[in-house]
Amino acid sequence: MATNQHDTKMRSASEERAQANALFNSIGDGIIATDEFGKITRVNPAALHMLGYREKDLLGKWFPSAIVVLGEQGEPIGLIDRPITRAFLLGMPISERNYFLRKDGSKLPVSVTVSPIIHKGRPTGAVEVFRDVSAELEIDRMKSEFISLASHQLRTPLSAVKTYTHMLLDGYMGETTPEQRRTLSTIVSATNRMNELISTLLNITRIESGNIAVTPKLVNIAKLCDEVLREHAHAARDKGIKVAFKSTGATSTRTDALIAKEIISNLISNAIKYTPEEGTIGVRVGKHGKRLIICVEDSGIGIPDEAREKIFTKFFRAANVVKRETTGTGLGLYLVKGLAEQLGGDIWFESEENKGSSFYFALPV
Amino acid sequence: MAKVLVVEDDKDLNTAYTLILEHDGHQVTPTYNGQEALKAIKTSDPDLILLDLLMPVMGGLEFLQNYELKKKHPNVKVLIFTNMENSPEVNEAYKLGAHRCIIKSWTAPQNLSRVIKDALNESQPEQPEGLA
Repeated sequence: MATNQHDTKMRSASEERAQANALFNSIGDGIIATDEFGKITRVNPAALHMLGYREKDLLGKWFPSAIVVLGEQGEPIGLIDRPITRAFLLGMPISERNYFLRKDGSKLPVSVTVSPIIHKGRPTGAVEVFRDVSAELEIDRMKSEFISLASHQLRTPLSAVKTYTHMLLDGYMGETTPEQRRTLSTIVSATNRMNELISTLLNITRIESGNIAVTPKLVNIAKLCDEVLREHAHAARDKGIKVAFKSTGATSTRTDALIAKEIISNLISNAIKYTPEEGTIGVRVGKHGKRLIICVEDSGIGIPDEAREKIFTKFFRAANVVKRETTGTGLGLYLVKGLAEQLGGDIWFESEENKGSSFYFALPV
Repeated sequence: MAKVLVVEDDKDLNTAYTLILEHDGHQVTPTYNGQEALKAIKTSDPDLILLDLLMPVMGGLEFLQNYELKKKHPNVKVLIFTNMENSPEVNEAYKLGAHRCIIKSWTAPQNLSRVIKDALNESQPEQPEGLA
C-alpha cells in the first residue's frame, strides 16, 4: 500500500516535471536562466533559435561572456550596466531594449526583462526573458519615413503659398492697399501656423526614432536671437508687447544653428502667446561658466504650481492655458526639451502664476 | 550683381526664386533637377547655386557629389534650400561642401535676398552663423 502511494507520488512528480519542461520548451519568447554566479543553467528552444546557438554552446557558460549585449549605437554594454547585473544588485526586475549578438555575428534587437530568482530571501539566480523586436523596429522606421516624406510633400506647396504671399506683401508685384496687406498678413500667419505644426510633428518623430541629425557649426547665438526676434516682431507689435534684448560678452559656440533657432523661436513664440496685451518680454544671452545661457522672460500668465512637473511632457497643457487658447498641441515644450538634449544642452524655468515666466536654455560652450 | 543657378523641381517655387533674384538684379539660370544643373554649369560659371535636395532624375546630394562640379567650380557657394531640416540629408550636404542650409517654408523673399547677399559676401567657409 505504502509502495503504491510512493509510486503514485513519484509518477506525479515526474509528470509535473515533464509538464513544466514541455511548458518551458514551448514558450515563444527566449528564456535563459542562470545560477547566482551567472552560469547558464537552462535555455529554451526559442532562445537557441533566435540566437543561433546549440544548447551545449551555452549551458554551464558564464552568461555575460556567452551572450554579448550591444546598445543602440552597437557599442558593447559593460558588465556593470547589463540588465542581469542590475537585476541582481537591485533585487528587482529590469526591462529594456537592446541588442544581442547572434552566433553568426549579426545583431538581434530584443526587448528583455531580467528578474532575479529569489529563494529564501536571497537571489539564487536570474531568469532573462527576451523577445525579437525586429518587426516593431521596422514599423517604427517605416512610420518615421512616412511622416518625413508626408511632411516634406505638405510643406512644398505651403512654401509656395508663403513665398508668393510675401512677394505680394513686400511689393514685388506692385503697390497694395492697407486692407489687402492685412488680408495677405493673415494668409502668412496661417501658413506659419501650419508650418510650425508640421515642423513639430516631424522633429518629434525624428527625436523619438533617434533619427535627428545634428550638424555643429560655429553659431553666434546673439545674432540668432536677434533674427528670431525680428521674425516675431510683427506678432509682438500686434499685442502691444514691448520686447527688450540684451547680450553680454562673446556669444558664439559650436552647435546646430537650425535646432538652436527652433528652440529659441519656440520659447519666444510661447512668451508672446502667453503674455497679455501691453506686457513685456526680455531676452538675454550671456556666458555663465562653461555654458551659454539664453533667458526668455515674460510678464505672462505664468505656470500654475500643479503644472510644474508636467510642463515638458508630451501633450500637456496647463489649465490656465487651456482656458485662454484652444489651438495649442501641448507639444512645443516637449519638443524644445528633446531638441535641447540633442545639443547637449539643458532647459528649465522659473515661474509665478499671473506674474510671468523665465525659461532658460543652456548650451555647452 | 551675381550669377545664380537655381536648382528646384517645384515649378512654382523655382519661378518665385527666379523672380525674387532677378528683382534683386542677379542673373538667374533656372533648372529643375541635378542633371539639368550639371548641363548648365558646363557653359556657365555661377557664383552661387541655390539647391533643393529632393528632386526627380538627380537629387541635390548626387549633384554635390559630381566630379564636374568639384573640378570645374571648386569655389562656388552652394546654398541648400530644403524643407528637410535636421535630417541626415542636410548633414550629408554639409559634408559634401554646402555653404549653408535654409528652410524653404520659413523663408520670406526679403530673407532670401539677405541670405544670398550674405553668402556672396562671406569668404570663409565656416563663419558664425546667425541666420539659418
